[in-house]
Amino acid sequence: MRSVARVLLAVAVLGLLCGCRKGPPRTNEVVAVTAAKIPLDPNDRAWEQAPEHLAKLIPQDLVEPRLLKPSTAEVLVQALTDGAGIAFRLRWLDASKNDAPRPGEFVDSCAVQVPRTIGPEPPAPQMGEAGRPVEVTLWRADWQAAVDGRGDTIRDLYPNAAVDHYPFDAQPLGPGSAAQKEMAQRYAPARALGNPRSGPRESPVEDLVAEGPGTLAPAARSGAKGKGVRTREGWSVVLSRRLPDGLAPRVRTQIAFAVWEGSREETGSRKMRTGWIPLLVRGEK
Amino acid sequence: MARVFNWQIGREMSYWYPESRPARQFAAVFDINKCIACQTCTLACKTTWTSGKGQEYMLWNNVESKPYGFYPLAWDLKLLETLGAQSWRGKVYEGRTIFEAAPAGERVLGWRPESRDYSYPNVGEDDCAGQVDHGASLSAPHLNWFFYLARICNHCTYPACLSSCPRGSIYKRPEDGIVLLDQGRCRGYQECVKACPYKKTFYNPMTGTSEKCIACYPKFEQGLQPQCFLNCIGKIRLAGFVSRPDRARADNPIDYLVHIKKVALPLFPQFGLEPNVYYIPPVHVPAPFLQQLFGPGVEDAVNVYRAAAKDLDLAGLLCLIGSTEQVVARWQRQGETVTGSDEKGATVVRVPLKEPVYVRAAFDEKYQIARTNCP
Repeated sequence: MRSVARVLLAVAVLGLLCGCRKGPPRTNEVVAVTAAKIPLDPNDRAWEQAPEHLAKLIPQDLVEPRLLKPSTAEVLVQALTDGAGIAFRLRWLDASKNDAPRPGEFVDSCAVQVPRTIGPEPPAPQMGEAGRPVEVTLWRADWQAAVDGRGDTIRDLYPNAAVDHYPFDAQPLGPGSAAQKEMAQRYAPARALGNPRSGPRESPVEDLVAEGPGTLAPAARSGAKGKGVRTREGWSVVLSRRLPDGLAPRVRTQIAFAVWEGSREETGSRKMRTGWIPLLVRGEK
Repeated sequence: MARVFNWQIGREMSYWYPESRPARQFAAVFDINKCIACQTCTLACKTTWTSGKGQEYMLWNNVESKPYGFYPLAWDLKLLETLGAQSWRGKVYEGRTIFEAAPAGERVLGWRPESRDYSYPNVGEDDCAGQVDHGASLSAPHLNWFFYLARICNHCTYPACLSSCPRGSIYKRPEDGIVLLDQGRCRGYQECVKACPYKKTFYNPMTGTSEKCIACYPKFEQGLQPQCFLNCIGKIRLAGFVSRPDRARADNPIDYLVHIKKVALPLFPQFGLEPNVYYIPPVHVPAPFLQQLFGPGVEDAVNVYRAAAKDLDLAGLLCLIGSTEQVVARWQRQGETVTGSDEKGATVVRVPLKEPVYVRAAFDEKYQIARTNCP
């Protein structure tokens, strides 16, 4: 028994020394390979065929409020396409799970950004430029928690919270009635105004568009999907969106990524990001 | 950063945006000496605006007992300590404002409260720590005093919340200077919560956006005072418009108290926001504490207030506070009567300088019963 263990240990050490590792090949650009169906599950075996790109992250330190201390160092990216849509699996190390949007607390999240128009000179990777928009697909851990079943009440965030009374829960307003909902919305102004980020969430991702820092807005066309799961080391998240306009096999465009570490109070422009990275769809024209 | 003039600190200062004053500026005067901390203002606001899910902990209006009361916890102490020395030379502030002290990468020097900082409003802030009985007395290493500080959003001329928002979701209305947070645009980054030194923006964890006092603008637009003013039991609050010092009008009640008599002062003017809620300081509190809260004019303000009984105009105007729901745009005293009028000059309230005194016999002859006077 002892000799078997010695052999296994020797094989493991040899593997490390040779730089051998399991898994898909590493590429210097993000390469999307074709799959019959885009899997939303980060643990789907289809991801094993997609090449990996290790994207180095840098702090967003160009516009205030800036991130001055680096946090998440890199994100491992894979891409799959079915010809109509494209999905990315992002994996990164994160020792702490931050998925509760309490005051003074922030959530883990990640985003994928592509230029709206494919061309030799993409807009600035920092959220695009005026007249030259970028499309952003954002995933947030709190939205994932909501989709996974966390309730939409204060007790779901603070189990010991004591709530005396909500006026819209009082009689004679019937529970779930139109009058009751209308009154509840009066005390939720962001929802009353239709702010898409104000929930209740039905998807953990959001389609956005930007034309420079501070201009992020909901996209006119929405349809992105996604799912994030907690792994032993951090997060594994799939972000799926329609194929960017003009992107086809053997066409190269640009893509950028961002990761927010909730425990470091990263939110908005306080984030770790990449510059533009080439994105290629592998296959025949 | 742009250079702007802040009259409350007597000098120019740095601010994220250029100076752009509204046509008129919403303002308020709170007479601290009359506040009894009944919290009716707090409840009036709460029931009107923040009874929803995610708003449970929010107090757009709160009343705290100074010096040991805070909402959120240590909201002022934390920033005062971080900001460092705040010295004045005469009426000119020589220290740094929170805009000038902004660290690298930030627009404002701020800090962000945690959930537990909001968890205990008013709990224990003016209670004895232990039981005092059998003739024992409580002693402290300093004079025993406290006062009630009622607080709402200051609708600052140079709002830190507005300057800190990277999305431009916060705006100051050009017509009345009320600072609003666009609920359709906010993405809940909580930068405003971190930046506001008065901690009067609040994150709603249910909607994922931040919210704040709106000065009851639907009422104010109709010439009516906000809910917390209307419901004030102690009649400590007066809402209106404040002018720039060089354009002060004696017949504008806010201008008269702020600029003419200089009896009402801004809260922490050294932060640099030019806040527009002005406080008549408590007359019984040691001057060094008041100077830190209200700036170098506070001793003069206390003296003016103490002498108000002999100043019929000032006394008359103080009687006007809390006497009507209407916004009093102009006022005047004629003899023993003080009159308030609206923007169009129509009289909206008339109060006597001294309330008439009626003395009733201790025994009611008609009903053959002794009257009991309630204190």
